[in-house]
Amino acid sequence: MTTINKNSACRWQMMLGASVLLLSVSSSGLAAPITFNTALPVAKEEFLFRQQFIVMKSGDDPSGAQRDRTETMSATTLAYGINNRLALFGILPYRDIDLSMNMGSSAVKRNNSGLGDVSAFARYIFHQKNQTGSTLQLAAFAGLKAPTGDDTASDSLGTLPPPLQVGSGSWDVFGGLVVTRQTLDYQLDAQLSYRINNEANNVEAGNVLKLDTSLQKRIWPRELDSGVPGFVYAVLEMNIINQQKNTVNGANDTNSGGTRFLLAPGLQYVTRRWIAGAAIQFPVRQNLNGNALELDNIARAGVRVNF
Amino acid sequence: MKLTTLKKTAVTGTRLLLAGTLASLALIWSSASFAGGTEYDLRVDGLACPFCAYGIEKKFTKTEGVESVDVDLKKGLVIVKTGDGKSFKEDELKTIIHDAGFTMKSMTEKAR
Repeated sequence: MTTINKNSACRWQMMLGASVLLLSVSSSGLAAPITFNTALPVAKEEFLFRQQFIVMKSGDDPSGAQRDRTETMSATTLAYGINNRLALFGILPYRDIDLSMNMGSSAVKRNNSGLGDVSAFARYIFHQKNQTGSTLQLAAFAGLKAPTGDDTASDSLGTLPPPLQVGSGSWDVFGGLVVTRQTLDYQLDAQLSYRINNEANNVEAGNVLKLDTSLQKRIWPRELDSGVPGFVYAVLEMNIINQQKNTVNGANDTNSGGTRFLLAPGLQYVTRRWIAGAAIQFPVRQNLNGNALELDNIARAGVRVNF
Repeated sequence: MKLTTLKKTAVTGTRLLLAGTLASLALIWSSASFAGGTEYDLRVDGLACPFCAYGIEKKFTKTEGVESVDVDLKKGLVIVKTGDGKSFKEDELKTIIHDAGFTMKSMTEKAR
């Protein structure tokens, strides 16, 4: 049994990247991209709320161990406008993770769930150009992820490996730039971000560099009438995600990290008080190191409320 | 003699009653006009989606004396109606719009 656990340890670790790399939570409460942030302002002394549900499936396993990982996440976001340029965001995730794989001749299933790591960040709009029916905003953001989720959970087989823990155990920092161009007909967002992951429990997930873009095109109403009608947007998003190799006990994990290129078609319905949106991220290309587990897809749906 | 005095008294009373009625009507008209407040038509830059527009509505509805706020996205127009003699200076309106993340381009003001 011990032998099996040691041999399988690497396979468990191979999946660490998947959760860290892909389950970024779009935190903005504004009319915004579905898979990342926006630069649009939060009104001074006002709150925005967002609830997002995410299901990530990874099951294309080049290692032959038939690893299959499904993570369901509920992410709650609260945004607060300090002033018309500076806003604070807090994100609390609830994670449920299922993992199955072959260990030797037997199939093993493991599960864990609970509150994950809390993230908080500040975003400052350093350039704002408003015109009739349109706006251009450039913002910088920086924040940290605190190890509030449990990273020591265990089951009958022992302590769960990092890919099955709801918390990472590490304090991680992230930051980036985001630009938004919004008109009455469309919205275009782009974000460049970097996350530095730190070590915990002898494991350090690789740092992540991301480039995201989103185009939201109003498809209804075709012609704008007076007042404030609800908008239906067709959404197409792109994510390029590069993650460095993980480090396990000080050594690089050769079966981790790599680059993924994802496309996400979606729909959004935007009213004065709330927004409902959904998208599915499909991997177009995955250039992963070694036997890193490949992504199948990520489904996202959520609501945002202006209260 | 007594009849003449009675007639004069009646005429005087009628005049007083008429004057009182007119004064009351004037007062009522004046009060009604006063309560009508002001309508501000604000040209706002940066308004480009329904959800964002609500940020402006929230700021105004929290402001004392504002009776209603209507937004026309297509025209980039925000119409604010006040009551109870509430009036705004242009700078106050600019600040409210600015705090919501937008830019007030111009405004017109008229009594309601």
